[in-house]
Amino acid sequence: MPAKTYDAIVIGSGITGGWAAKELTEKGLETLVLEAGRPIEPNKDYVEHVPVWKKRFREMGDRNRFNREQPIQQKCNALDELNSKFFVNDQQNPYTTDEGKPFLWIRGRQVGGRSIIWGRQSYRWSDLDFEANAREGIAVDWPIRYHEIAPWYDYVEDFAGISGQAEGLPQLPDGKFLPPMEMTCAELLVKDAIAKHFPGERLMTIGRCAVLTQAHRGRAACHYCGPCDHGCITKSYFSSLNSTLPAALATGKVTIRPHSVVHSLIFDSASRKVTGVRVIDGQSKAALEFHGRIVFLCASTLESTRLLLNSATTEFPAGLANSSGQLGHNLMDHTMGGGAGGRIPGNEDKTSFGRRPNGIYVPRFRNVKSKHPNFLRGYGMQGGGWRQGWERGIELAGFGPEFKQMLIHPGPWMMDFYGFGECLPNEGNYVELDKEVKDEWGIPALRIHCQWRDNERAMLQDMSIAAAEMLAAAGAKDITPYLEDNPPGLTIHEMGTARMGRDPKTSVLNSHNQAHDIKNLFLTDGACMASSSCVNPSLTYMALTARACDFAVASMKKGEL
Amino acid sequence: MQRREVIRLLLGTAAIPLLPRDVLGLLSQVHDQLSTAPSLKTLTPHQDAVVSSIAEWIIPQTDTPGAKAARVNEFIDLILTEWYDPDDRSRFVAGLDDVDRQTRNLYGKDFLDCSSLQQEQLLTMFDEQLIQRRQGEVHGARRRGQKYAPADQSFFYAMKQLTLVGYFTSEEGAKQALHYQVIPSRHEACAPLEEEEAAK
Repeated sequence: MPAKTYDAIVIGSGITGGWAAKELTEKGLETLVLEAGRPIEPNKDYVEHVPVWKKRFREMGDRNRFNREQPIQQKCNALDELNSKFFVNDQQNPYTTDEGKPFLWIRGRQVGGRSIIWGRQSYRWSDLDFEANAREGIAVDWPIRYHEIAPWYDYVEDFAGISGQAEGLPQLPDGKFLPPMEMTCAELLVKDAIAKHFPGERLMTIGRCAVLTQAHRGRAACHYCGPCDHGCITKSYFSSLNSTLPAALATGKVTIRPHSVVHSLIFDSASRKVTGVRVIDGQSKAALEFHGRIVFLCASTLESTRLLLNSATTEFPAGLANSSGQLGHNLMDHTMGGGAGGRIPGNEDKTSFGRRPNGIYVPRFRNVKSKHPNFLRGYGMQGGGWRQGWERGIELAGFGPEFKQMLIHPGPWMMDFYGFGECLPNEGNYVELDKEVKDEWGIPALRIHCQWRDNERAMLQDMSIAAAEMLAAAGAKDITPYLEDNPPGLTIHEMGTARMGRDPKTSVLNSHNQAHDIKNLFLTDGACMASSSCVNPSLTYMALTARACDFAVASMKKGEL
Repeated sequence: MQRREVIRLLLGTAAIPLLPRDVLGLLSQVHDQLSTAPSLKTLTPHQDAVVSSIAEWIIPQTDTPGAKAARVNEFIDLILTEWYDPDDRSRFVAGLDDVDRQTRNLYGKDFLDCSSLQQEQLLTMFDEQLIQRRQGEVHGARRRGQKYAPADQSFFYAMKQLTLVGYFTSEEGAKQALHYQVIPSRHEACAPLEEEEAAK
């Protein structure tokens, strides 16, 4: 009996793999989802309601184990005692970098991928972003414009549920928002001060986030317990486990196969199509093959590119679908680490109740209406205002009953801003297969060559200054600007390396995320990005994925694939 | 009520803040983790007694439990044994032993044999020295996993830090002192502060 041929194979089950699974199955395709990691059972594996005293190291985590098994993953702020299981084991998943040029690759391998632990901030791109490369003559032009993706933003926002406040800004288009979350007392004060001191230039809005502020499509509203990145039994934030995979399962047309480490794609030179994938079983390490009529690569930016590089054939000696030679190049991440904090006097008789899983946002204001002398493009700022807790006592004088009582009482209001800056595509930031190092499953590791350049560094400095200016405008005291030299990768917005473009000679994918070279191969994760904007990218990946699925199924029906 | 009923309730449209208290209690058991039985691994009985005494000086029993009731000494022993670097551990233990040496020089007896006034004087001296040393340093936000690695090498810094962490993350400290709720009874970002419910 010949092996079964699926209508579609989706590689990866994170943000984009989940969307591909939902869209393809809802359009009638029998779909196989291959996930390299283990299955996740929300009832058992979600850990958001474990009180701190039940955790052996009181949230500080098993430091010795982290140092041994997750020396890279633990650099990520979000990793802690209980959710470290949603991050990879660095020993099993090696990669290499150049001496003195670190890149931090933060990964999750399980059903749901990094969508379990993502930051949930959800912003639309605008034509300021899509036109930037063409306007400045950098890299290649995006093959799409805002009006082409806008309906797909509507579509994915409506399903995912994004809370936020409409502001009418051209550089940060409004979406289909659920009611916005509330601002804290300090935030309200700073927001007013920014509106007064920087009219027409800067404004502060509540973060737009994929967390429900009201019941939505069978999922409950957020109950403000706090640690979303530990899972959410009420499914109140968007993840593929909470939202898109259940939708795909409801069609009865999806098979999700965990422990399926994809080794390479199978290319048929006669038809010039991919016919399936080679898989190494994650547990038994047996070599398997699966076949499908179309393949969606949604394995995450660097995993998808690694897979194409490892799928070289005689026709494509430099990596599958790489006639352009662009595969692996123009790796980007957002800069992070320029900002400022300060104390906001007043409001001592007020506080916040609940743990809001969201912050505030200052949309990009550089190079929007006027030109900045030191850098191209811009940054957005995130942050928040809160009352200090007992932790402040570690640096304060005193001990005894009065000291204890002071620490039980909330401390002063603080406010923090930190920027997320656009990174320019640069041919010299690239990845290739390491010639020696292999992972636990015998697949060649990536060698990553990546560093910040002058434009990113100049922007980072400006973030500190601009953050301090806004705090000063709000009457903050003890303003502390900071500038951290974080390596690329740490923002976990890595993108590029298989860019979209109009010309098959200079890009890997066309305007529908379809490989120029191989018509039945689609790639819709962050690898497709031709530039990076400064906003958090996941919402755009979702919209591009849904759009590509629509195109792929229409093409199949026309007999074009 | 059974665990699956709790989960069913959660998955429904029931508003979480309106769930009865016993459900909230069950909820915390849903993901319960067993903590290992306490037995000291690094501190000797004498060292443990000094640690317990100093911790209680820092966070004493008042109308809410103190460090001793919250078993902060056991937390400190765990951190010394399984979390600290060997260097930090040696430095802490050496600093702890030095407490008796200092009281013998000052008062001619071990710390635990000193009067309350003498103990308080010594700790006040430690605290003043510490704060002088820490002044002017920039305390940037440290990462979650690393934020409690000792930033200052003195014994008293580590002792005070571990006491505060151990106390306010204990069940006694979090529930009775801070009124911490795993699922907050309400969410309001800017609301009047009522002392008895100043929950985090």
